[in-house]
Amino acid sequence: MTNQNSTKTMEQLLHSLPALQDEATVAGLADLLEKLAPILQGRRLHNIVDLLAAISDVIEMTDDAMLQKIMALYEDSIGGIWMLTNALRYASAQAAANSTPPTLWQSVRQFNQNEDARRGLDVVSNILAELGRQAAIKGQAMPED
Amino acid sequence: MIKNIIVVGGGIGGTMTANNLVSKLYPEIIRGEVRVMLISNSPWHYYKPAFMYVAFGAFYKDELRRHQASLLRPEIDFILDQVDGFEFSNSRLRMRSGDSYDYDYLVVSTGCIPSPERIEGLKEAGDHFYQHDPARQLYEKISTIEKGRIFIGVTFPTTPNVPHQCGIAPMETTLMLDEFLRRRGVRDQVEIVYTYPTIAQLVRNCLFLQKQTGEVLPSVFDSKGIIHKRGFTLASVDPERKIAISEEGDEENFDILIQTPPIRAVDAVLDSGISQAPNNEGWLPTDRQTLQLEGFENVFVMGDTVDLPISKAGGSCHNQSPVICNNIAGLMRWGKTVDEYDGKVQAIAQMGLEAGMPLWYDYDVDVIPTPATKIGGLMRKGFNRGVYWSVARGLV
Repeated sequence: MTNQNSTKTMEQLLHSLPALQDEATVAGLADLLEKLAPILQGRRLHNIVDLLAAISDVIEMTDDAMLQKIMALYEDSIGGIWMLTNALRYASAQAAANSTPPTLWQSVRQFNQNEDARRGLDVVSNILAELGRQAAIKGQAMPED
Repeated sequence: MIKNIIVVGGGIGGTMTANNLVSKLYPEIIRGEVRVMLISNSPWHYYKPAFMYVAFGAFYKDELRRHQASLLRPEIDFILDQVDGFEFSNSRLRMRSGDSYDYDYLVVSTGCIPSPERIEGLKEAGDHFYQHDPARQLYEKISTIEKGRIFIGVTFPTTPNVPHQCGIAPMETTLMLDEFLRRRGVRDQVEIVYTYPTIAQLVRNCLFLQKQTGEVLPSVFDSKGIIHKRGFTLASVDPERKIAISEEGDEENFDILIQTPPIRAVDAVLDSGISQAPNNEGWLPTDRQTLQLEGFENVFVMGDTVDLPISKAGGSCHNQSPVICNNIAGLMRWGKTVDEYDGKVQAIAQMGLEAGMPLWYDYDVDVIPTPATKIGGLMRKGFNRGVYWSVARGLV
């Protein structure tokens, strides 16, 4: 009884929808059904529906805390890449502007005179030290629990 | 001869425009033919829309600011100083430090200043969320109120067809306040009254500055038990009696008064004598297409400082900045401006604490309201927490 009622209601709905009275809508739906038929018959459309459901679940589960972590990752990544590409582009342009590159001794003197250059070297040194520390941790022999 | 381009203002408009100018004019900069300078009076860059969230305890100060210099490309000279005088006729800036700078092209992006002192009693008895400290003060009040009446009002500039700061913000905060008080469990004991002035840009006696959105607001407010009232233009406040008095002759009592305050241009812009705006508001006469300061081909104006009928918000700067960069490049390379601003503004409105509604409009087409969604809310929060800084860097 319930099935009959719902079938009737669906029929009524299909007959009453203004969009379905338009020939272009019906033609478009027919095209779409033709495209969908093989993946529907092969049960592959199910995967797309599952994917949509999974995306919807992620949206439902996302809260303030999760969003803040994701955006912090975004900002750290983009900000870091931006800073590095800026430095690379700017430094390359400066180097290209000199018709003759400085001699090794001139470069050493520049390091000695330029506080920012020395700080940059310090940053690189700190990065190497941190990489070394992490490598040492990974290489440590760990006792069994 | 090196061409000097100076951007004044370290807000979102100035920051993204300085970065965009370097991108646009990179060949000239590399050849040493162009120099870009940004002048700001603060070493910090603040994400100002987040002040609204501070009022709801959702943002800490260090989460909404960055070092100004860290947001600028290395090709930009950053000057920490304040402009005391715009000498547009001489193409010169006089600085507080005593220095002066000559420019070939100038971008004025100096923002606006909330000025509650321009309404009698408002500074003493009113609250707002357009600056950090007032927003913190408002948070203390709305996070402790147990019962009473919160009265919300909006003040428009006197200049015809110029909006207040961030047109959607009063509506956003009203909906956020409703949800905030529900979460606290005190909503039944706190009455929220949303009011709008009789004259709101081109509309009259409405609840919003655009008619179509104004027409859907009553049903939104009714569904949440928010009282709404048209035709309340705040004239003065009696701090002793806690009464807001309107130009229309009404008196309304309040326990908390959240009022979008009067705004004005910064002192140096006011003192330039170029503005024709009434009430010493200081908006600069701006060509609505090229964004040039009227009468000065080499000066461009953007953001809150313009006298255009466009939201004083970052979403406006985002669309004005490429036009200004294109036009400066056009003047330098071809001797004429090449781009026109169509008035486009886009934003994602915060509709309550969780939902959001993307919106856009321009000179010709108003916002078409759509249902608020959780995805819209996530987009807004994602923008607040990360994408904004990419916009400032000129990446988005």
